[in-house]
Amino acid sequence: MSDVILRVDNVTKNFSVRRPGRGGRSQIQAVGGVSFEIRRGETLGIVGESGCGKSTLARCIVQLLPVTSGTVEFNGSPLTGLSRRQLRPHRREMQLVFQDPFASLNPRRTVADIVAEPLRVHRFGTRSEIEARVRELFTLVGLDVNSLVRYPHEFSGGQRQRIGIARSLALNPQLVVADEPVSALDVSVQAQVLNLMAELQEKLGLTYLFIAHDLGVVRHVSDRVGVMYLGELVEMGPADPLYDAPLHPYTEALLSVAPELDDGRARTRERIVISGDVPDPADKPSGCAFHPRCPVAQDRCRIEKPSLIHAGDGRLVACHFPRRR
Amino acid sequence: MSFATRAGVVRAVDGLSMSVGRGETVGIVGESGSGKSVSMYSILGLLRGPNVSIEGRVRFNGQDILGRPDRELRALRGKDIAMIFQDPMTALTPVYTVGWQIAEQIRQHTDLTKRQAHQRAIDLLAEVAIPDPSRRVNQYPHEFSGGMRQRAMIAMALSCEPSLLIADEPTTALDVTTQAQILELLAELQERRGSSIVLITHDMGVISEVADRVVVMYAGRPAEIGTRQEVIREARHPYTWGLLGAVPRLDSKRARLVTIPGNPISPLDVPPGCAFAPRCTYRHDRCSDRPPMRGTDHLDACWLDDAEKEQRRAEIEEAS
Repeated sequence: MSDVILRVDNVTKNFSVRRPGRGGRSQIQAVGGVSFEIRRGETLGIVGESGCGKSTLARCIVQLLPVTSGTVEFNGSPLTGLSRRQLRPHRREMQLVFQDPFASLNPRRTVADIVAEPLRVHRFGTRSEIEARVRELFTLVGLDVNSLVRYPHEFSGGQRQRIGIARSLALNPQLVVADEPVSALDVSVQAQVLNLMAELQEKLGLTYLFIAHDLGVVRHVSDRVGVMYLGELVEMGPADPLYDAPLHPYTEALLSVAPELDDGRARTRERIVISGDVPDPADKPSGCAFHPRCPVAQDRCRIEKPSLIHAGDGRLVACHFPRRR
Repeated sequence: MSFATRAGVVRAVDGLSMSVGRGETVGIVGESGSGKSVSMYSILGLLRGPNVSIEGRVRFNGQDILGRPDRELRALRGKDIAMIFQDPMTALTPVYTVGWQIAEQIRQHTDLTKRQAHQRAIDLLAEVAIPDPSRRVNQYPHEFSGGMRQRAMIAMALSCEPSLLIADEPTTALDVTTQAQILELLAELQERRGSSIVLITHDMGVISEVADRVVVMYAGRPAEIGTRQEVIREARHPYTWGLLGAVPRLDSKRARLVTIPGNPISPLDVPPGCAFAPRCTYRHDRCSDRPPMRGTDHLDACWLDDAEKEQRRAEIEEAS
């Protein structure tokens, strides 16, 4: 088996929307030509602001949404274009953890039932084998096996997210795609779930695609990080150099304004507050999509779209004028 | 401050004493259910009804305001004390234009005519840096982005030049870059107008960027109060240590985050002694009695003696 577990090649996802007041329909590009690879056992973090397409990308990867163009390859075999039946054996190998532990668990079923569902769907074994596996999963994620017959509303947010994780691990997947798994949790509980995910990765040899808007959380969990803006990757590379010396002006601005504890150990930095809002994806700026808000934009940026190119040391950046260090 | 509920009496806020100086920014930080929002709502008289009881004193500019008739409070709210809510989409009415909503508040508290109030709304939108204010003033909230809605809320809160602004999680629903814009705007406005701000948040990072003084709350009770420097660099309460240690850092990767075991407790079953004791690594016999807030300027509610606190804190810092 190759070292690369997931290969995403030039994936684009368009949504067709009705234009209010103008009649007709138009295309919104939610994800535009995203390519990357994830190696077995690593954690790739994808960070970006709301509407940057990171959740759509996650859904395209696990084939919950069909891609408009491009390919997704899992363990060397293409997933895009497969029928539902053909996808099924691959599905058990890649599972999703959702953001909202309140909305992603069926309130009318016991938690044991919820965790057992993927096992039943994939014909894991007899009823007692499934029961034993559910108990094992509960222990694995640090939940009390005496609470198996309870309903989701009886659990706190952190416990519910553990249930969601148990469900995603039920079939021993190789890849776990976590879409904002801790953003709905209080900070003390968030830390517990992040530590749990790290332990599970070590114990089970999991590969994570970790999607979040919180820069600190992404750095904490990721080996490599990709930064998205308006549906595209603008920078990607190993976490430490990316955070310590960002190449793209957007990454630099994002990091400079992320609130940080002033405990005497934090780096000194200059805040770069970029003006305006993220543009409407239906009306993407010409050239580099970031140019209207970019503090260092020049004429070329308005016309010519930069492509994601190698910048040495495993780093990639899509900028005509990357920051020099 | 307590609520009578079917499950019993809930002390949502229990023994909070704090002050806000003129021109000062006080941050109230805590997790869900810690009473940080309820404490501010109750002093404004926004929580009323037969099931609500509030004890204690609230003084604003030297005058008692707790228990005053609603008519008097109404003159105060929005004019001298204004509030910004977390979710601007629910705080604004979808059926009126943004300008109408700002003008309504101005006309409620001043003698300006409709036209003057409308003009003032445009000026305020310009002041909070909304582009093209004379067009935007006639738009509805859904036509604004999240950041612009929050700016509109701030414009509304500022309309009568309040001397105290209470901001309840004003940036929680916003992206980092928008959050930075809003925090910068608040700081600018404060400098220009000299008003005081109470900022309620769960985010220690935000506190660390804007607050002069910090109140850490747990289970409706204050755990620690001090200047930003004192609380963030010389924290004395084990709960504060946990909160600070649980924040993933931007500048270096820690192997493991410090966690607080268990979950934030329900205000329905706060233990009789120290509220934090069931989750505290350093609990001992004394913790079955409720610790008072001790200290002069930097206060904390923990039974550990000062030398021991210092030692524990150093250990934690060492480990991370």
